[in-house]
Amino acid sequence: MELTPARPGTWAKRNILPVLGAGLFLWSAAPARGAGTGQNVERQFKITGRPVVVIHNVANGRIDVKSWKNSEVDVVGTQSSNKVGFDIEQAGDRIDVTATILDPAAQPLELEADLQLTVPEETELQLKTETGLIYVEQVMGDMKLESYAGDVHLKEVSGYIIVKTTGGSLICTQCAGKLDFSSIGGNAQILQPQLNNVNLMTTTGNILFDGDFIRTGLYSMKSGKGLVEVRFSSTDSFDLKAQTATGTVDNQASAFLKPDSHGVKHIASKFTHGLFGTVGMGLAKVELSSYSGTIRIMKRD
Amino acid sequence: MQCKDIELVLEQEGLEPLPEDARAHLAECRDCRNYIADLTSLVDAAKKLPSEITPPDRVWISLRAQLEAEGIIRTPAEIVPAESASWWQSISAFFRNRVLATAMVGILIAAAAVFQIRSDRATSALDARKSVETPRPQALQEVPSGEFAGTAQALKDQEPLATGMILASTSPVDASLRDNLKKVNEFIADCERHLKEQPQDELTREYLSAAYQQKAELLSAMIERGRSMN
Repeated sequence: MELTPARPGTWAKRNILPVLGAGLFLWSAAPARGAGTGQNVERQFKITGRPVVVIHNVANGRIDVKSWKNSEVDVVGTQSSNKVGFDIEQAGDRIDVTATILDPAAQPLELEADLQLTVPEETELQLKTETGLIYVEQVMGDMKLESYAGDVHLKEVSGYIIVKTTGGSLICTQCAGKLDFSSIGGNAQILQPQLNNVNLMTTTGNILFDGDFIRTGLYSMKSGKGLVEVRFSSTDSFDLKAQTATGTVDNQASAFLKPDSHGVKHIASKFTHGLFGTVGMGLAKVELSSYSGTIRIMKRD
Repeated sequence: MQCKDIELVLEQEGLEPLPEDARAHLAECRDCRNYIADLTSLVDAAKKLPSEITPPDRVWISLRAQLEAEGIIRTPAEIVPAESASWWQSISAFFRNRVLATAMVGILIAAAAVFQIRSDRATSALDARKSVETPRPQALQEVPSGEFAGTAQALKDQEPLATGMILASTSPVDASLRDNLKKVNEFIADCERHLKEQPQDELTREYLSAAYQQKAELLSAMIERGRSMN
C-alpha cells in the first residue's frame, strides 16, 4: 500500500490544537488557584519615633526587612494557604507581627508564610522564625534574630546584633557595631565588617572573618569542630591568641605575625596547640579557638 | 532644705509636684537640678519601653544558669512536702501540669549544670595535684564519675521527653532539631572522651560546658515546639 503524506496544513492544525487547548485550560485555571492559595495581606503603620518591630513567624517562610526614608512601617504578608494567618498590630511605635498556624493538621507546604517589611532606617528588630531566610538590609538599630533551621543574611546593618540559630548559617556583609552569633550547626561568614565587638560561637559550623579589625576592638571566634579562618590586611593592628585542643593552627601569615609587642609573655597550655603574636601595634584583641577543627590565619591579597 | 532632704522628698512623693521649699532649693543647687533631670529622663525612657513580652522557657533556663554561675542566686532548697500528702503524691500532682513540668525540668537541668561546673572547678585543682602524684591509669579511673555527671544525667533524663514530643513530625524544622541534637551529642561524647584522658584541659572543659548549655536550650526548644504543635 502506498502511503501518501498528509498535507502540511493538516499536520499543523492537528498538532497545535491540543497544545492550544491545554494552554487555554491552564490559563483559565491559574487565577482560580492563585486566589485560592496565595493570599496577600498589606498594612501600613505611621510611627513617630524609632520603631520596634517584633515578628514571630511560627510558620515556614522568609522574612525580608528593608528600609526607606518614610516614617512608616509597611508589612506585606504572603501565605500559601488559608491554614496560616497573620496577626498584625500596632502599640505606639511597636509593631507586632505574628504568623499563626490555623490548622495544626496542615501539611508543611500549606504553612508557608513570607513577610516583607519596609521600615525606617533607624529601627529595632526582634525577629524569630523556624525555617526560611531572614534577610535584613540597611537597617540601623539593635536587633535580635532567631531561627531554628533558617539562614540569616545581613547587609549593611549596624547596632547591637544578636543572631541565634540551631542549624542556620549567618552571612553578615558590611555590618557595623557589635555582633553576637551562636549556633550548633550553623556557619558564620563576616565579610567587610566595621564591627568593634564580635563574639562568634558554633559547635560544628565554620567561621570566616574576612575584613578589618577596628583598633580597640574585641573579637572572639570559637568553633567546636569547624574551621575558623581569619583574613586580615597588612594595615591591621591586633594581638592574636589562637588555641585548639586537638585541632591544628595553620599560620599562613607568619611574615606579618611578630612576637607580642606589649611585653607580655604568653605560654600555651600544655594541653593545647597555641599561637600568640601581634600584627602592627596590636591595638585590637583577637581570640580564636577550636576544639578539634583548624584555625587558619592568613593575609588578604 | 538640703540635698539629702530632696532625695527624701523624691522617695516619698515622687517627681511631681515638688513642694515649695524643694523648688526653692533646686533654684540654688545645680547638683540637685542635674539629679532631677537624670531621674526625669529615666522615667521618660521607661515610659517608652514596650510592654512586656513573655520570653520562651529557654530564656529563663539560661538566665537562671547564668545567675547561679555568678553566685547571684542559689539553687532552691529541697521542697518539704505537705503533711497531708506523701512527697511522691505532691510531685506527681505538680508534674501533671505540662508547662510547670517543663519549667521544672529546665530549672533542674540548669541547677545540675551549675552544681556540676562548680564542683568540676573545685576538683580540677585537686585533680591536677593527683595527676602529678599518681600514674596516668589511676587518674583515668578517678575522673569519669565526676566529670559533668549530674548535668549529663539530667539532660539524658530530659532527652526522651523532648525527642518524643516531635517524634512523629516530618517537618524540616523538627528534622533539623533532631539532626542538631545528634551533632551536639556527638560533640559532647568527643569532649568527654578527651577530658577523661586530659582532665586538666581547660579549653575542652569550656567547650563541653558550652555544649551542655546548648543541649539544654535545644531540648527546651524541642519541648516548647512540641507543646505548640500538640
